[in-house]
Amino acid sequence: MKKTDQSLTRNFCIIAHIDHGKSTLADRLIEMTGAMRGNTVREQVLDSMELERERGITIKAKAMRLSYKAKDGKTYWLNLIDTPGHVDFSYEVSRTLAACEGALLIIDATQGIQAQTLAHIYVAIERDLVVIPVLNKIDLPGAEPDRVLDEIASVLGYEPEKVLAISAKTGEGVPDLIEEVINHIPPPQGDVRGPLKALIFDSHYDPYKGVMAYIRVVDGHIEKGSQLQLMEQETQIEVLDVGCFIPETSPVDSLSVGDVGYIATGLKNIGDCQVGDTVTTVTNGAEHALEGYRPAKPMVFAGVYPTEPGDYEELRTAIEKLSLNDASLSNEPESSPLLGFGFRCGFLGLLHLDIVRERLEREFGLSLVITAPSVRYLITTTSGQSQVVTNPSDLPPPNEIEKMEDPWVSISVVTPSKFIGSLMELIIENEGIYKYTEYLGHQSLGELGQRVRLEYDMPLRTILTTFYDQLKSRSQGYASLDYEMQGYRESRLVKLDILVNDLLVDSFSRVVMPDKAHAVGKAMVDKLKQVIPRQFFKVPIQAAVGSKIVARADIAAKRKDVLAKCYGGDVTRKRKLLEKQKEGKKKMKQLGNVEVPKEAFMDVVKLSI
Amino acid sequence: MTDSIALYIHLPFCKKKCGYCSFVSFEGRESNIPEYISALDAELTQRANGECISSIFFGGGTPSLLASDQLDRILTSIRTLFKVTENAEISLEANPGTVDERYFKDIRQLGINRLSLGVQSLNEQTLSFLGRIHTAGDARRSVRFAREAGFSNLNLDLIYGIPGQSLTTWIDTLKEAVRLSPEHFSLYPLTLEDDVPLNRAIKRGELSDIDPDCAADQYEAAEDYLASRGYCHYEISNWAREGMECRHNKVYWQCLPYLGIGVAAHSYIDGHRIANTTDLNEYLGRFQRGEPFLFKMDEEITLETQLAEAIIMGLRLTAGIEFGSMKKRFGIELPNRYEREISELVQLGLIETDERGIRLTSKGLLLGNEVFWRFLTQ
Repeated sequence: MKKTDQSLTRNFCIIAHIDHGKSTLADRLIEMTGAMRGNTVREQVLDSMELERERGITIKAKAMRLSYKAKDGKTYWLNLIDTPGHVDFSYEVSRTLAACEGALLIIDATQGIQAQTLAHIYVAIERDLVVIPVLNKIDLPGAEPDRVLDEIASVLGYEPEKVLAISAKTGEGVPDLIEEVINHIPPPQGDVRGPLKALIFDSHYDPYKGVMAYIRVVDGHIEKGSQLQLMEQETQIEVLDVGCFIPETSPVDSLSVGDVGYIATGLKNIGDCQVGDTVTTVTNGAEHALEGYRPAKPMVFAGVYPTEPGDYEELRTAIEKLSLNDASLSNEPESSPLLGFGFRCGFLGLLHLDIVRERLEREFGLSLVITAPSVRYLITTTSGQSQVVTNPSDLPPPNEIEKMEDPWVSISVVTPSKFIGSLMELIIENEGIYKYTEYLGHQSLGELGQRVRLEYDMPLRTILTTFYDQLKSRSQGYASLDYEMQGYRESRLVKLDILVNDLLVDSFSRVVMPDKAHAVGKAMVDKLKQVIPRQFFKVPIQAAVGSKIVARADIAAKRKDVLAKCYGGDVTRKRKLLEKQKEGKKKMKQLGNVEVPKEAFMDVVKLSI
Repeated sequence: MTDSIALYIHLPFCKKKCGYCSFVSFEGRESNIPEYISALDAELTQRANGECISSIFFGGGTPSLLASDQLDRILTSIRTLFKVTENAEISLEANPGTVDERYFKDIRQLGINRLSLGVQSLNEQTLSFLGRIHTAGDARRSVRFAREAGFSNLNLDLIYGIPGQSLTTWIDTLKEAVRLSPEHFSLYPLTLEDDVPLNRAIKRGELSDIDPDCAADQYEAAEDYLASRGYCHYEISNWAREGMECRHNKVYWQCLPYLGIGVAAHSYIDGHRIANTTDLNEYLGRFQRGEPFLFKMDEEITLETQLAEAIIMGLRLTAGIEFGSMKKRFGIELPNRYEREISELVQLGLIETDERGIRLTSKGLLLGNEVFWRFLTQ
């Protein structure tokens, strides 16, 4: 592949809310440029993981080089870098933006600006990216271009006539959009003779070539065989291979200033090659790394256990395999008297957790128990020691806790004004602290009212409950949510324990606000009462904070079972019924001397309150 | 005694199928009775080996739908093919709605010496709820007819644990039944298979579900009351005056051999458990075509399973099982073989044990299944 001229290169990405048409636009761009012929485009090439395809979201950023002959007669290299579209991956998005000079901001003409769109666009503007606003889905009957254009003008300041109206689906307006990219997004700047600086904006693990780092060269150039180092992590590598994406990986001789491509590092551990780090040469390297590096840090933790204890080894192998490609997935062995051996895994957020769970179940055929998600708590004990706790059952007793801190986020909710009251109530119930209200545009959505953006501070732990589902249901699906980490705040929280027949069941423990302990405890004991079959003796189920019982339900003793008659001496039938009962017993988990069906137990672990 | 077997004859005809019943019986097929009797005759001929018969039980269905001459024909055939012992217990299940004094006199003449009356309840509301074809008055009359016909061994079947049946309603029925002074009581908790009309009504929410706690109260109250009236509780669901236990049913509980003839009948012969077809047309068809009767199931019961079944069935008897007789029969020391199970069950308060054997406690009588499955093999 011919080496490119810097002035003929454009690096850009697409910013869009879920379902606003990012992947479809990417498909059209591929189709209309030299990368692929239209009939060979598999729908939504960028979403390569099966799961991404099914969920209609892009999880990991990908990049590809498109060649395009513009109206000025020159052929340009367009590097399109895809961004993940979910709040869990906001750091990855920021690194992708850092690798670009421009961004296409896609807004759905039927919906308007969403919380996440705003979060991303602010990052792009902060980084001085040239933003090309695009109104998509203008072909749909529900499109309201006037209202949405007004919103864009009022919130983002783009005049309606500057916004390109397209249909990524039909291709209408897309050729103009490509010309716009070429004419308005600046070519990359950089010093080709300077010391090498390249930004890692994504990576994946290849079984033959080790970790493949996706990079954007800022200064200097990279060739096969170069001895390089990652400046923040101090990892040393030899470049086994250099290439770019068309969209398949395709080797090139070198990558130079402004180029987007990959290097094969031979590294075995993706954690040694983290997104955001700067690549430079071992000798005569750059003095300072590029700004903005942040090691991947899981924010949400949950116990991951196999339903069948015998599947532990398989689960371990599966998690190791996923970790190869996912530096933000952490894991530590953990065990629970009830669930046996498993792992405490760390995730970027709930979606990340969900994706990992689905991949473990689907790609590895595992059946899992996932405990209620938790955040990281910072504890200072009365003896002055600091502890980090990610599993509520590891919390020290209340009297040994001097100070407790948990992570807070700044949330942004975009909703039609009709739902403001109900959503504010929900946010306040979840300990939200009001910061700001902003009206988007001047036009109303009929009876739903004008669109509004609300800003609150909230503890991350309350987002991990049913918050998002409730946000959606209270707003009839209209509200969108984005959040950003803020830092730790001191909080007064208590551990709520569940005792079944006076035995503490560690997997049921939760961290709650003191004034919610009764309500949560009540919901849990009621659920347990509903799912635990009657035993031969009365079983008290208690919710307790320390030694104080906050809720209780009793399961009365079972007095009588169903004795099937022997139909005219049909002992075989009777025996088979008993055999079934015996099989059923094997599926029971033992909580002390109380037998609980596994499914019932999972219902409670998963119970969202 | 040990060489003799029990004989069960299934008569799968009913005037009307009850809403709770999942026994194999057919409504509106009475016209098939004559042919069915011929088929029974053929099956008896095919399977008889000249065995010695110590008890005969006509079960159903509604055996009392058969005319006395029809029963005569079956009994004659049995007596020709087998050696029926002189003091054999010969029982017939009768529906109070199908009988009169003449009928009982006639069948008593045939040698039938024990009647099991499907009384179920003496409360009119309960009877109509269950879908019975008779009234409480019919039931009382049928007892009188039976006595007048010379029956000195009567069983009354009663059902408890019925949705809406209070403890008082149940005890009223029981008291009245005791006044009728039968020799034997079978008290069954209402159990509903998935596909019976009453269960469907419960699932549709039209009917409250069976309340196991209420059923337990009713059972315990019945135990107390019957004990005070001189009935001996000898099996989970059965009570009798001294010496009047049902000999035929004891064969089942002791896992001794029995031969079952007719649609859906089960046999336990030579270590094989055999089930006949449940399809009346197939049964009659084989007979019409002169083909031999085939078994729907023929399972060899391994020694291991025989042991498990002997314990499970034996524990239904309040006397429980004796270590000595199990050792004699299977060569096994039960307390060693089931050491863990026995100690667990004793701890749970479901069985009691001494040097002679094990038996269900009163708590265990209500939770038998919890005891039984522990003795299954594997």
